[in-house]
Amino acid sequence: MPGLNIPQAAARPASAPAPEAASPVLVGHPGLVVCDECDAVHKRIRLSRGVVARCRRCGALLGRGHVVTPTGQLAFALAALVFLLIGNFAPLVTLDLQGIHKTVTMPHAIWLTAQAGEPITAVLACVTAIVFPAMLVLLRLYVLGSLIRGRVPPGFRFAMRALRFATYWSMVEVFLLSALVSIVRSAGIADLVPGMGLFAYAALTLLLTSTTAAGLHSIWKLGSRLGAG
Amino acid sequence: MMDDEPIQTGRQLGLYSCHTCGRVSERQGHAAPDAPLACPRCGTHLHHRNPRSLERAWAYTWAAIVLYLPANLLPVMTTISLQGAVDHTILGGIHELWMNRDWGLAVIVFVASVAVPIVKIASLVLLLLSAGRNSTWCSRERTALWRGIEAVGHWSMLDVFVVVLLVGMIHFGPLAGVEPEPGLVAFGAVVVLTILGVSSFDPRLLWPDPADNPPQPNASPPPHE
Repeated sequence: MPGLNIPQAAARPASAPAPEAASPVLVGHPGLVVCDECDAVHKRIRLSRGVVARCRRCGALLGRGHVVTPTGQLAFALAALVFLLIGNFAPLVTLDLQGIHKTVTMPHAIWLTAQAGEPITAVLACVTAIVFPAMLVLLRLYVLGSLIRGRVPPGFRFAMRALRFATYWSMVEVFLLSALVSIVRSAGIADLVPGMGLFAYAALTLLLTSTTAAGLHSIWKLGSRLGAG
Repeated sequence: MMDDEPIQTGRQLGLYSCHTCGRVSERQGHAAPDAPLACPRCGTHLHHRNPRSLERAWAYTWAAIVLYLPANLLPVMTTISLQGAVDHTILGGIHELWMNRDWGLAVIVFVASVAVPIVKIASLVLLLLSAGRNSTWCSRERTALWRGIEAVGHWSMLDVFVVVLLVGMIHFGPLAGVEPEPGLVAFGAVVVLTILGVSSFDPRLLWPDPADNPPQPNASPPPHE
């Protein structure tokens, strides 16, 4: 578990600009990492693939060696978009009760919940299972698509902050487990065949977990190198 | 590894870490200790401790505790069959799965819907009480506890999705049907409120190192900013 701390002298840059009188100046320190969870200062080190850096004091995750390049991340986001569309439009399951056939998609289930007098629950399920995952995928496509061609997209800061929010509230993996639980629970009532949508959601969960695990710091850095802030 | 070297904090060195983009900034020049600082890269406000973190986390926690009762006492769904309509609470649903010998499923739903919310609320209260007293007891373990409840938080949404999906799956008129009930809103609110409570709690409050507040008359920030 790499994680070094630094003596006080090293933290101050040798060529620090003269402090201005009125407004505070925020000088960047690309060589340092400060733990978000306990405020301990560490020297930044280069992480090889698959290596995880943890804080010496509290054990918080400080960074991961990047496994996926920006181009690879864009490819993952494109694949995620395809699976997101299939997952929402193809049936999750097909049910059969005494000759009555029913196919179920998540948007339809949400609509029925709203119709049944629970609009707040319907909105909660809609944003966490559909809206935020879709935002997460579309914003990744937007930001990475531009950065890879060497341009900073308009509204980069806003898009990135929205992306962070969407990633935090996206619950695709929970939705996948819920689909499995509800399939088992309704298996006693009707005959039931899993559909294309369920497999698409499984693939989407895998793709999103592998791309969001690395965090957004590398995309921020890429943007910085191209001149955004 | 230089494990014996003393650890220095961002507050001691005047360094701010941006929680959004990871940029490390050093404040230079004389400014009021509570002057607003924005990260030059992404515009996020920089703080050594998030302002009013304890108050906000307490508010979310209390709201979650209050809503915890209706979430568990009110039915979350009604099943309709030829034998009539039956109300189901969260615990009732788990009991039913257990009686139907779906052991694994009963355990999954119990962990996600009962154990996780209770553990989260209890942990939040423990963290908030100890942070309010500037306790230095087991800081590393308490930070790990915070990290744990942050990681498992959204799994409690399981039951909300299950009911929504069942409503979508089982609608065969009088033969079989599932209807959502008001308990589900309360339950979803508890899940969202505990997630907000955990994310608004600043784990750096678990590290009130005395060496963290050096007696510098010009630069030392107030205890909770």
